[in-house]
Amino acid sequence: MVTDNKPVTSPQNPKDPPRKQSHAVENAGKDDTLFSPRFRSVAAMAGWDEEALLVASLVVEDTPDRQIKHKKRSNLQNFKTPPTNSTRKRRAQRRSPASIPVVVLDLDEDGSTSKQESEKNKIQSRVPAEMEKKTGDDELDTKGSKSTGEIPCIDRLREELSCAICLDICFEPSTTPCGHSFCKKCLRSAADKCGKRCPKCRDLVRNGRSCKVNTVLWNTIQLLFPQEVEARKAAAASPSSNTESQPKSAARVSHYNVRSRIIDALNSPESETRDPERRSHRIRSRSFRSSSRRDVSVRARELPSQDEDAAFALRLQREEFMEAFRSPSEPRNSLALARANLRAMASHAANIRVRRHGN
Amino acid sequence: MMSNSMMTMTLGGGGGGGGRGGVGGGRSWPSTTSVSASGKRIQKEMSELSIDPPPDCSASPKGDSLYHWVATIFGPPGTPYEGGIFFLDIAFPIDYPFKPPKVLFKTRIYHCNVDSAGNVSLDILKDGWSPALTISKVLLALRSIFTNPAPSPADKPLVPGIAHLYLADRVKHDELAAEWTLRFAR
Repeated sequence: MVTDNKPVTSPQNPKDPPRKQSHAVENAGKDDTLFSPRFRSVAAMAGWDEEALLVASLVVEDTPDRQIKHKKRSNLQNFKTPPTNSTRKRRAQRRSPASIPVVVLDLDEDGSTSKQESEKNKIQSRVPAEMEKKTGDDELDTKGSKSTGEIPCIDRLREELSCAICLDICFEPSTTPCGHSFCKKCLRSAADKCGKRCPKCRDLVRNGRSCKVNTVLWNTIQLLFPQEVEARKAAAASPSSNTESQPKSAARVSHYNVRSRIIDALNSPESETRDPERRSHRIRSRSFRSSSRRDVSVRARELPSQDEDAAFALRLQREEFMEAFRSPSEPRNSLALARANLRAMASHAANIRVRRHGN
Repeated sequence: MMSNSMMTMTLGGGGGGGGRGGVGGGRSWPSTTSVSASGKRIQKEMSELSIDPPPDCSASPKGDSLYHWVATIFGPPGTPYEGGIFFLDIAFPIDYPFKPPKVLFKTRIYHCNVDSAGNVSLDILKDGWSPALTISKVLLALRSIFTNPAPSPADKPLVPGIAHLYLADRVKHDELAAEWTLRFAR
């Protein structure tokens, strides 16, 4: 696992945070055109990070109501918008079907993790988009009252769906055999520190440590309280969160990085086209790097588990996708490279299995 | 500066939740972004208490530290403690709510479950603690021992003498309790 992690944390790797940041910088100009400063400040108050906004903008871009707007504007284009801009817009729109693979990619990406995780992500990406659609242009000040106004007994719901241990909205709720639900983390801590009894009714909870998330409840909570859930997620992903779940949250962070990188790539065809030199250079250097890195890691690992292999293959697949997106001019080259790598990985895994059976 | 050292310790235990909270020089408690899980929970309890306090009770942080509270309980009507105001010290452990808070009576009281040092024998503050309990519930439980002391030997009262008198001569016990209330709690 150590060698598996190394490429992820290496400074040249595309998945690492610095690159993500540079993307953010590249996108900054575009964000300004997408979101009014007022919206941005309110979004910041609501605790939406840049990623959530980008996800939201990505989805909103595809909605028909945007297209109508665009049509209107194309009528006015003679005296308002410069032609270059409109063509770029149109190109972006023509591209919009290409954003569908995000969903496909999403599912692919979560192949190694649980199915429920992918569900979570789908909901997660959908919810902020809905929120943005609802809140519209500038009446964001009323957002708080709006969300409470939609569901009449939201306060009761909040109370019901709160964890008795942290008194917050249940985050990844887990339900005891006696029927009481708490945050998974809270329940686990309670089992560790206070014995195997239900905190609510003191019933014996036999397998206190192996708590599973109540999927229906968790999805319901995410739909009802998207803001709170997002805030908690951000808190969990930040390095200053509890040390207890360090490995888990680290995994989540890297997962997020990959996600946002894909989103960035999809969102910034303009910035890409602006500096084709840099882009092609990046691709060249990356493909070189990735192939050399792979050799190293294959050599370094002795007998990796099948899960590791699966994860590795998955990452290659992701990279294949990325390369395909980044280089419409030279897709064949990178695709072929990634495919070859995949094939190599598969044979490597097969070899290991044979070796293991021999033992 | 007891409270300051307590605070930094707490933040360290919570996984280094930023340095801002450790500087207890400000007027109020540290901001939500820099406190640990226990701090967050205590803040929640504080806001809940201010919205919906239990009857005849109040509680709030003593000073800069979130982990040191002072609470008051008014002697419930119909008891010999009626008319008295009883102050309590509440100290939250670092791993609250997984460990119970420590409650100490600051006002002297003639009660079989409260000794002269102010220690309380209450099941939920010891083995009976559950992380789902809150300070509000603890205050309600404390208030209930004013109306219903637990004097029987099975309850292991802290002051057996008072417990014995309560069982043997209730009138005398109530007289003494009322006298103490008048003397110390007003």
